[in-house]
Amino acid sequence: MDNAQPPQIAGRTLPGGEYRITADENRRLCEALYTTPNPDGTAHAIYAYIATQSGMGVSVDGLLALCEFDAADGPMLGSSNTQYLQPIRTDVTYRIGGEVLALTRKSSKKLGTIDILEYRLSMDSPSGERIVDITNTWILPRRAAK
Amino acid sequence: MHVGDLLPVWRIDSVDPANMRELAGVLRDPNPIHLDAAAVQRLGLGDRVINQGPANLAYIVNMLSAALPGAVLLQLDARFLANVLGADAVEAGGRVVSVEADAAGTRIGCEIWLNVADRGAAVAGGAMLLLASPRPRVNP
Repeated sequence: MDNAQPPQIAGRTLPGGEYRITADENRRLCEALYTTPNPDGTAHAIYAYIATQSGMGVSVDGLLALCEFDAADGPMLGSSNTQYLQPIRTDVTYRIGGEVLALTRKSSKKLGTIDILEYRLSMDSPSGERIVDITNTWILPRRAAK
Repeated sequence: MHVGDLLPVWRIDSVDPANMRELAGVLRDPNPIHLDAAAVQRLGLGDRVINQGPANLAYIVNMLSAALPGAVLLQLDARFLANVLGADAVEAGGRVVSVEADAAGTRIGCEIWLNVADRGAAVAGGAMLLLASPRPRVNP
């Protein structure tokens, strides 16, 4: 690839999809996270990340491929910023959507040339009410780039 | 609740690789770095399995839920700084940085973190929670 600039993918819409958190899955997740499920039917808040990531319609490897980056080259989750607009509930099928906000090349003292992938995902209820907005960044070390 | 208050810490004495395997199933994440120490070694990343990043953030959510029961999480911002490894001892904590009352209740802003014993911060960031005002009594 031309290493001068990363691929121009800002604004690319992700396919999106659906995600349903069953009560049993939430229970198993809570146990693995050393906690207990909420008795009121709300799911663990970390599902804002899990459900949007799993329901965005493309795998992480596929998302990285859009950036012309091989997942075997060691991508790192950099940050995650979540706005909770409504509680996340079990046994509701949510609609997930998203878009790439930016892919920016930078220089890191520790990692050399890196690209920062920034993308936004949303989770909506079946009636179209926004439940979650989340923006994640991944750090992509460009070992071959100069 | 006052600015500067420390939230009670939430600890795991030893992050269990068995829990990583269970999480891998829920997360549909087959990455061998969470499952197989030999795979971690082959990649030059050490000799212990690596915990899933969302799990590290979830420990902070657990801390907030325990420290502020009944509060609603409005915003959660996190930077992932380092890995948590199998058998690590971790401690989630936080500090109140703002307290503001409005019609909906009291909004509590917190600095948050997850520290690994002997290695320092794995996650750092901030959170905003809402403690709802009690509903006014309605006279019969």
